Amino acid sequence: MSRDLSFLLPELVLMVTAALMLAGEMIRRPRLVLGIGLVGLALATGLAWPLLKADTTVFGGTYRIGPLAVWSKLILLPATALSLLLARAELAGKFREGSVYSLMVLVSIGALMLAGSGDVMLLVLGVVLTGLGSFALVAWPADDPATEAAMKFLVFGSVAGAVMVYGLTFWFAGAGSTLLSALTGIDRAPVLAAAGLVGLLVGLGYKAALVPFHFWAPDAYEGAPVSVAAFLSVVTKVAAIFALAQALSALPVQTGWQWAVAVIAAISMTYGYLAALVQSNLVRLLAWSSVAQSGYFLLGLVAVGGGALARESLIVFAAAYAAMNIGAFAIVLIGGRDMEAIGGLGRRAPARAAAMSVFLLSLTGIPPLFGFFGKALLFGAALDAGFLWLVVVAILNSVLALGVYLRIVVALYAPAEAAQPAPQAGAAVSTVWIVTLVITLVMGVLTRLLTG
Amino acid sequence: MIPILSLSVFLPLIGALILLAMPRASATQAHAVGIAASAATLILALVMWSRGVVAGEFVQVEEIAWIEAIGAAYRVGVDGLSLPLIGLTALLFLLSFIHQARSQDRARSFVILMLMLETASIGTFAALDALLFYVFFEVSLVSMYFMIAGWGEEGRQRAALMFFLYTLLGSLPLLLAILGMFLASDPWSFDMRIWIDDAPLGGAAAMAALVAMLFTFAVKIPVFPVHTWLPAAHVQAPTVGSVILAGVMLKFGTYGLVRFALQMLPDAFAAAGNVVLIFGVASALYGALVALAQSDLKRLIAYTSVNHMGYVVIGVAVAALATDPAMRAVALDGAILQMVSHGLVTGALFFLVGMLKERTHTREMARMGGLLKPVPVLGWSFVLFAFASLGLPGLAHFPAEFQIFLATLNVAPVAVISILAIVVTAGLYLRAIGLVFLGEPDARWQALPDLDRRDLVVLVPLVLLTLAIGIAPGWVLSVIHVTTSAAGF
Repeated sequence: MSRDLSFLLPELVLMVTAALMLAGEMIRRPRLVLGIGLVGLALATGLAWPLLKADTTVFGGTYRIGPLAVWSKLILLPATALSLLLARAELAGKFREGSVYSLMVLVSIGALMLAGSGDVMLLVLGVVLTGLGSFALVAWPADDPATEAAMKFLVFGSVAGAVMVYGLTFWFAGAGSTLLSALTGIDRAPVLAAAGLVGLLVGLGYKAALVPFHFWAPDAYEGAPVSVAAFLSVVTKVAAIFALAQALSALPVQTGWQWAVAVIAAISMTYGYLAALVQSNLVRLLAWSSVAQSGYFLLGLVAVGGGALARESLIVFAAAYAAMNIGAFAIVLIGGRDMEAIGGLGRRAPARAAAMSVFLLSLTGIPPLFGFFGKALLFGAALDAGFLWLVVVAILNSVLALGVYLRIVVALYAPAEAAQPAPQAGAAVSTVWIVTLVITLVMGVLTRLLTG
Repeated sequence: MIPILSLSVFLPLIGALILLAMPRASATQAHAVGIAASAATLILALVMWSRGVVAGEFVQVEEIAWIEAIGAAYRVGVDGLSLPLIGLTALLFLLSFIHQARSQDRARSFVILMLMLETASIGTFAALDALLFYVFFEVSLVSMYFMIAGWGEEGRQRAALMFFLYTLLGSLPLLLAILGMFLASDPWSFDMRIWIDDAPLGGAAAMAALVAMLFTFAVKIPVFPVHTWLPAAHVQAPTVGSVILAGVMLKFGTYGLVRFALQMLPDAFAAAGNVVLIFGVASALYGALVALAQSDLKRLIAYTSVNHMGYVVIGVAVAALATDPAMRAVALDGAILQMVSHGLVTGALFFLVGMLKERTHTREMARMGGLLKPVPVLGWSFVLFAFASLGLPGLAHFPAEFQIFLATLNVAPVAVISILAIVVTAGLYLRAIGLVFLGEPDARWQALPDLDRRDLVVLVPLVLLTLAIGIAPGWVLSVIHVTTSAAGF
């Protein structure tokens, strides 16, 4: 028992942190809540570091402490901290801002649970835990768009969650255990395996905003504060992808799950970018782009079924995606949600416009930025798993992606309408874009640190 | 031991970082940094040139571990194929900085982009790691995109977007081919030397990789019918953008054609050699004929690039088809020398068109006329480079094209019909010279200033090199030949 708990130190620290944050919110001390949150996240990240060498499970195999789970902590906890800073920049002084911070930390615990799941029950628990906090985060502004967005999110989430639980019971029937590791023999019962697979893909596909379970994402991101959109597009999405990797790595490939995932990947990439092409609201555009990026993640998932590079590619791309996506949202937070609002930012605030260009080119997958190395590894992983056609689809979509993201770059460097002043940016949001910029610029060259 | 090659790759980038750290730099300071960094790079290139190359291997090799898990490393080195191109790149960038030095328009940003582009260009030729090569290859796109979009002419946004989309779509198949070769190598490695010595792919997979690569390099070269981005990009690009695009970046395509397609997939290339040859012949003829139909001087020169690069493609295809190693070496010598000559001559022609446009504010040949009287030095320089471009003996293109045609006649005699393109090129240049420079000058042009000292500083090195290669090409060919005549190239 004490051995198991020692592996859970990061999670335990986070739970204490979340409790303290809620207490701080009760006495209405938002700065204190933020401080506790940042310290707790930093401490939990630091405690996760020594676990990198571990590859084991705790609590009878239900919770995995392996590279995927530990890297999820090292990626998602700093991403949560950056989201907290974004939220501070956006919501400082508003009523109950501290509840946003504490909810984010609570959701991050659920995200870690998802990413480390070794058991079907934990998957469900993770989906519920991240879901509850996310609904509240989206609804937080308490105005009409936010309420509508949260309603959609909630209804969609409830249905997807119900389908997931129902589907996963078939796996239990087939495998006789809720452990994911027990799935190895389930291909003898193909119907049960397929039913469970559908449930898994619906539930986690919804969480990761994969087509066709993505409908909530553009509305929820648009209704929510920008910082919450950044948080949801990174933390819960990456957690869901990692959870899929945990589940699918045990599922026999004879069930054909690789093809289901590959088809969803192709559709998500293509549809996400096509829809993003026609958006003029930057938050919606980034929402659709994040749908497409989820599709790219699935290239690595396909390879989980027996191909090298799968784990490395997922980890590297998750880190890259977290940095560049949060960075892009940070600039949107500074510059404004509309394409027109950021027009001419290149003249008014050249450093921030250049940073935005870097984030967008990295999202496209242009070397030597971090995103390129993630995508190159994903391509290599899918190719090694024998899915050449999927890599070709992904490559064609990269061209579509360039069209999507260059529209913003062109707007950034359009001649400024009038002599508008440079938008104001506080220390918190500046920290976020500078940190993510440095990561996006230099981590590509230092990718070896993530693949050791 | 000073890492000279790495220094010459990264000196421009260091210059760019210095400028980035000087947010208030004046235009003069920015240009000074650009000229200093590129001059130092040229000196390093000359030092490398003086050290020469060795048959059958790369020299000046420098390696640093990078992503060990997938066998990628920082590996650079040069041989007789890349060394002349690195020298050409360093020279053209220095001359471009000198030419650009009078511009005041957002000079700091422009110089930063140019320096990034120089690092990417030299890096592309120097890389011995396929992943590193791809990184440099793509970075050059970004710099060129911003250069066209920010400093180009009327329709620049559209042209820049087209350029970026076209060449990105073009280069992604190369990534696919690189990943395929990487996964097929055992143990996994991106080391290009290993791939050259022992081709990782064979059979149908090799052919698929070759098709992917040929697509990428055909777009970049550009080969008919995927050349359509080139005239648009050239016409809209600023003068130095055109110089670098034609003089350096088109060579990425032909360099890749030799380094990747020919060296790593020799059997597949030999099997597909005739198809490549047909595309080369078509490009050479089509480029010349379309150039003949142009009324815009810059467009005309852009299309002659399609023609000249067509000869390079013919040379490489003939080398792939050749069974006699001596003939193969002749074809490759010609093709590689043609890359260098084209960089010098077309670079000079784009400089001259830019200088003409500065003075007359037009590129329409019909609106000029009789310019030889008011601007004789400019006029005679144009005539010299036009003659060089059409392949006159004694000037830079002649020894290159001569060797290409010699080898073609030996290996695939039918393809010699592409020699007709030279006749067309001669006609179009004579027509252009007649329209622009001969006849009575319009009253508007009487007071045009001729070339000033800065213009001469840009042009004189190109004139000298064009003559030097034309009259005695031995000093370049000897370097190239050491590598191309080695067994196993």
